[in-house]
Order: sequence, then C-alpha cells, then structure tokens
Amino acid sequence: MPPYQGGGDMIKSVTFEKTRYNDLPYKFEAGTPHIAGAIGLAAALDYLSRLGFDRIGAREEELLAYGTELLAALPGVRLIGTARRKAAVLSFVLDGIHAHDVGTVLDHEGVAVRAGHHCAMPVMERFGVAATVRASMAFYNTRAELDTLARAVRRAREMLG
Amino acid sequence: MSDLRELYQQTILDHHRKPRNFRAIAGADRTAHGDNPLCGDRITVYLRMGNGVIKDAAWEGSGCAISRASASMMTAGVIGKRNAEADELFHRVHAMLTEESNGDAARDVGKLAVFAGVREFPSRVKCATLPWHTLEAALHGTAEPVTTE
Repeated sequence: MPPYQGGGDMIKSVTFEKTRYNDLPYKFEAGTPHIAGAIGLAAALDYLSRLGFDRIGAREEELLAYGTELLAALPGVRLIGTARRKAAVLSFVLDGIHAHDVGTVLDHEGVAVRAGHHCAMPVMERFGVAATVRASMAFYNTRAELDTLARAVRRAREMLG
Repeated sequence: MSDLRELYQQTILDHHRKPRNFRAIAGADRTAHGDNPLCGDRITVYLRMGNGVIKDAAWEGSGCAISRASASMMTAGVIGKRNAEADELFHRVHAMLTEESNGDAARDVGKLAVFAGVREFPSRVKCATLPWHTLEAALHGTAEPVTTE
C-alpha cells in the first residue's frame, strides 16, 4: 500500500533512481507525531490509575443515584433509559417543552447539557420522543451541581411550561 | 450572556402555547416542507393565493417554542400580503435575525420585532428562520424540502 502522505520518518532512503519507504507503522506516520497528545494521554492515565477505577465507578454510581432521585421527583420530568446498570448519564424529557428550549434555559443557568436526538434517531422513535436532554456526570461532578441542574429544570418548566 | 427574557418574550411564549393558523389548508395552492433533522423541527406551510395575494396561510409541524412561535406569527403576518410584500418581509426578518446592525430592519417588521433577541442566541437562529425559508419555498414553488441547518 502506498503512503497516503509524505513527510518526516516515512522515508528510508531517496535517490534519483529509487525511493524506499520506511517499515510499518512509520510509513503511515508522516511528519511530527502528536507528542504533546501522547504525553497528555499518559498523564491522564496516571491520574485515573491513581484514583482507581473502582473508586471512580462508585463515585459516578452515587452521583447517578442522587441525580436520578432529584429529577424523578420533579413534576413533568420523564427519565429516558432507566436500566439498573447504566453509565452516569441522565436523559430526560420535560412534558410539553422541546429539548432545545430546555437546553437553552439550562445553559443560561450554567448547566451544560446535550439536547437533541444524540445521533440515535431510532432510539428516539423507540421511546416516542423527538429529542431528549442529557446530562452526563463524571467523578469530578458534585451533588451541588446536580442540585443546580434540578433547580434549572424547575425553572425551565416555570418559564416554558 | 443575554437575558433569557429577551429570547422567550411573552408574545413568543403566547404563540408557542396557542399557535395561530395551526392547521392544513384543504386544496392549498402552494405547499412546502421544511425540515431541520438535527433539531427535529419539521414544518409544512400551506398557502391559498388569489390575484397575487396570500388569501390564507397556515402551518403544521412540530418543534421548539421559537420555531412554533415563528411559524405562528409569520402566517398571521403574511395573510393579505402580495407575493412581493411577503418576500420583502422575509428579507427584513432574515436581516433582523442574522445581521449585526439591524436597527432599521427591526423597526420595519412590526410585531415580528419580538424575535430580535434570537440573534443573541446563535444556536437558535435556525429555529426562527425555518418557517420563513419554508414560506419562501412555497411562494417560489420549490419542490425540495428546505432546511436551515
């Protein structure tokens, strides 16, 4: 297979008669590699390993349980995706209010969410909704931030319901 | 960040909750479809024409508050207008929604000036313009569905 791009390190030797490309994988890695990215990835892996994936998982489960409880208690909220074992995401719809309107209000309250069909239109159809709002939690999120989310959802309903 | 009340003005919320001309026109002279698949906003615009005048305008579809209110106020605003007048209004509304200095445009769109605040929310501009582009497609007989995404 010929190289898709020319540049440093993909070449072995060049003369007027003949060009010899480097061995794999170098032949396909022309130019300066993404050094900063590789260092950053290593640092991220060190950080996560130090925290421990068990602890991270436990923390995210706790946040998920707390967030689920908060949202489920709000009038007009329907949670989409309530499997017993699931990642720390809260997808929901707000009765009679389009997900993008909810997203705009939440954004205004300082809560960043994804609104829309999430590149999963068949799933939207399965649940009979046009779009959902989705808050995703990671271990560094806090209960206070989930309280803010719940307040913002309440505000969206007051404003647009 | 801009005040949410600038976006969700009372008039806009009123049209969202009680959309005007939300119906099909049986035997419409002109029909066009608009579709923003990323948002999920969908609209069909119906027109009944007579002597070069929009005798009746109506719409059906689903979408967010901004797109619903835009379609509702648009149909109310173009009934009784000549084709060219509706085109002119489209251009003014479009300028108000998308251009930086729009002081004059905003003054010349009447009640539709309530949408001026949408410009401060770039991700929502396409919601407000979809009904208008669909109206243009209906007026000019475009067969393909239009999109503003």
